Amino acid sequence: MTKEIRISIAILILGAISLGIYWFIPVGGSQAIATEKNIKERIFLAQYEAEVYQNIPEVKSYLKDLNIIIQSGKSILPLSNSELDKNGIKVQHLLLTDTGFIEDGKQGDKLLHNDMMRILPSIVSTLDSSTAQICKTTTCYTAEKYNFVTNATTRATVDVDNNKVLKVQRFPNMQPDISLRLKRMAQAIALNAPEVKKELGKTPAKKDMSMANVRSALKESPCEQSAHLCVAPTFADHEKEQVLWAIIDLTELKLSAAKWAGLGKTTTPACISERTLQNKFIMENYCRQDSYLDRNGWKMTYRLTGSDGLEIRDVSFNGEPVLTSAKTVDWHVSYQQKGADQLDTSGETYIAGRRVEYIVGEDNKYQFGYNDAMGCPMFSTSVVLPFNGPLIKPLKGQSGFALTQDFRNPKWPMACNYRYENRFEFYDDGSFRILAINKGRGCGINAIYRPIMRIDMAVSDEQVFSSYDNQWSVWEKENSSTAMPKNIQYPFKVTEKNTNKGYYIEPNHGQFSDQSRGDHATIYATKFNPEEGDQDLLTLGSCCDLKDDGVYRYLENKENINGENIVLWYVPRVKNDATEGSEYCWADTVLGDDGNLEVKEWPCSVGPKFVPIGLEGQ
Amino acid sequence: MAMLGRSKICAYWVGRTMKKYFPIIGSIIVVTVASYFVVTTKGKEKAKTKTVKIAPENIGKFSRQRSCARPPRFLRKSNIPQPVLIDLSQQRFKGLAMHYGKNYEKSLHPDLWGKYEHFSTYTVDEYGNLYLVPMPFISINENTFDLQKNIYKLNSETGDLEIFMHLEDVRASSNNPYGLNSIAYDCDDKTLWVSAVDESDYKNQKGVIYHIDPVNKSILDTIEGFDVLSMAIIKSEKGKYLLLGSARDNGLYSYKMNSNILDQKPKKLFSLPSANQHIRKIKIKGNNQLELQAIPFTYSLISQTEKKHRVFYNAIWIDTLRKWKLNSA
Repeated sequence: MTKEIRISIAILILGAISLGIYWFIPVGGSQAIATEKNIKERIFLAQYEAEVYQNIPEVKSYLKDLNIIIQSGKSILPLSNSELDKNGIKVQHLLLTDTGFIEDGKQGDKLLHNDMMRILPSIVSTLDSSTAQICKTTTCYTAEKYNFVTNATTRATVDVDNNKVLKVQRFPNMQPDISLRLKRMAQAIALNAPEVKKELGKTPAKKDMSMANVRSALKESPCEQSAHLCVAPTFADHEKEQVLWAIIDLTELKLSAAKWAGLGKTTTPACISERTLQNKFIMENYCRQDSYLDRNGWKMTYRLTGSDGLEIRDVSFNGEPVLTSAKTVDWHVSYQQKGADQLDTSGETYIAGRRVEYIVGEDNKYQFGYNDAMGCPMFSTSVVLPFNGPLIKPLKGQSGFALTQDFRNPKWPMACNYRYENRFEFYDDGSFRILAINKGRGCGINAIYRPIMRIDMAVSDEQVFSSYDNQWSVWEKENSSTAMPKNIQYPFKVTEKNTNKGYYIEPNHGQFSDQSRGDHATIYATKFNPEEGDQDLLTLGSCCDLKDDGVYRYLENKENINGENIVLWYVPRVKNDATEGSEYCWADTVLGDDGNLEVKEWPCSVGPKFVPIGLEGQ
Repeated sequence: MAMLGRSKICAYWVGRTMKKYFPIIGSIIVVTVASYFVVTTKGKEKAKTKTVKIAPENIGKFSRQRSCARPPRFLRKSNIPQPVLIDLSQQRFKGLAMHYGKNYEKSLHPDLWGKYEHFSTYTVDEYGNLYLVPMPFISINENTFDLQKNIYKLNSETGDLEIFMHLEDVRASSNNPYGLNSIAYDCDDKTLWVSAVDESDYKNQKGVIYHIDPVNKSILDTIEGFDVLSMAIIKSEKGKYLLLGSARDNGLYSYKMNSNILDQKPKKLFSLPSANQHIRKIKIKGNNQLELQAIPFTYSLISQTEKKHRVFYNAIWIDTLRKWKLNSA
């Protein structure tokens, strides 16, 4: 044996020993024992609407085929033959004309969008005893279709040999495994989602994505918000041991939300849902911390409160203080009915989960309703929850921007479910407007909505509140007024005590080009008291006593307000309208031409504008 | 030609020399390739190892125990026939109501039973006294937060509902409207286990379990750091356990009770399939079988409003496989 061969053998032996040691001794000693890596979950919400995805070839072709089907008077988009075997083709042909199978495809004369999801040989576990008996001797196939409008699955068992439908079952609020076509479309949407690209830092390829176990994980997990059909392709980053879950809404054909989670089983929830992700995102970004905005000379802090909606604080314009705080603390919702003598008030009444209050009035009429608090989705007393976080939007037709927050009951626009928007508009000339927007739908007609706005001006530590009636009168004591005639543009003003520096208040009579029918408001001026709403306010007053907006309790002492820190309370009064053609504070769901549901909304916007003194008439 | 000849000689010499070292070069290549394979494979294994779950705790086999709970005595005095359905659903009646008769169509709901607003759950002792814990429900009134710090008692003899015990350090607020929220009676030592979650916030789990002597109305012990949504006492072949449904996540946890002193930390038995579902009720249904009611719970009021969001599961302990099986009930 030569010297070189001996060296070679030594290298091989040493190498083998070293690798053996490396393989069997755990790196990091005891810390490597089966522990879960704690990956911080990071959530982001969709920033783009469905239009962004409509030119993706898979989506385009799907929408085209759907349109053809609906236009031809059919409601079910069939599976392509490539997804079916010979028997499957036969079964699909039979079922598409079977009245029992297709009977939920219409609502009145409107067609409802359905997709055939899969057609496969029957599995014994899905058959009842009588069908199983038949299928012992014949070839049976099971087909499933999904109704996108009613969120229901229909399952049919077919005897292929005898060309006979054995059984049709409907499962409301159930979602089937999706077709290959929908799977490919979900993948395409995920791959093209701008938010996913941004998070991954590159344009992802199909090979980076997995949907292997997704259908089972989300099978019974519809997008909670709206009972939509959702799936979640994932993008794994093995180096960082984390995975990006992209929730794709197949009803609306868009990315719905996404989150980074660990690769481990416990850090990747068995069921992730849009609502859960939104709750976490909103809590971490807007409820647990303040956000700051610096734009067009305006600077402010904003945050979501526990029950007082979106609050802006410490607002200044070009360095001059404007507002200490502004927010809409409550919506009082009241309905008028006749038949007070028939009213049973021995127990409590609940409508859509809210406790209803009754106020008996004159002429056998009574008011009933409730108070809606808006706020953080967790650790709060709100009942109308934020959707997405606050958004900053440019104003249409004006120079400036809006800071806005959407609040909804999850089942809006169903009856007795509400959608509110808190909105603050800031104009480049230093004026601003505080808006409360109601988008229905309410429990019915004859509703009176009263948003309670709390506005703490920061004009000065010593402020003066004045009202105009041919001349300006200073309010000495805490008081209220409903005198806002249309012919007086600025019936009120808040100024610094010894100067005329401050803001005019311009009530809304419908002059702001937002289809509003006016505020019909009451304004209150009170002396600042930290316990009167500087922190989160619980429900303020009665929902339904139209003589009391809830603010009167702060006027009881009739304190002096001349030269004091003044808080304004502005309470508009809006009546809804469901009459066709003149809807107001209303929303409705209609079936669109593509067989899918469309929401129509007729918002009512209320709230005053504040104009810096000296700018009037410009 | 001379140049060509020299280069041929050079190549011949290099060839011979290299041939001599081929075994060494070959062995280095083999070790390098093997090293690459081993390092990459181990890297993948390491990633897998990090996500392997620690084997869940098990409490062993158990069976349904005969409860010491007895029906309230005032029912018999009032000639109200058994069985009676206790209703805390808050749908028709505020507070507590009882239904009886055929199809439970008759209801008992004195005004006093609605005085303390809404209740989350109850437990019954061997004398027929009901102990109840509160719950904020949909709307917040001026005294709602104060009511969350009381344990309430429905007197077995009189049917009167009263504040049984007042835990001053429980402080519900608009940032977390929940206070005392679950309760269980221990028939062995005749004590109460009560939980509160008022101190918890989005980041911090600061729930407290109180062990209470109902005779002296004194707190025997407190265990901090776990947010309980539901609790039940269970005896298994391995001992006595306090089962806990977490307000924080979708898990069912257990505390081993050694002479009624709880272990240091609760151990997780299993998780429900959805991260949204939190166990609100635990019932020992039969041998090795639990019935669980789960709801979405976010420490806010909305979660209580939708009946359809309540999901029921049967959790069955398969002793031969040493694991839990979950079925939708």
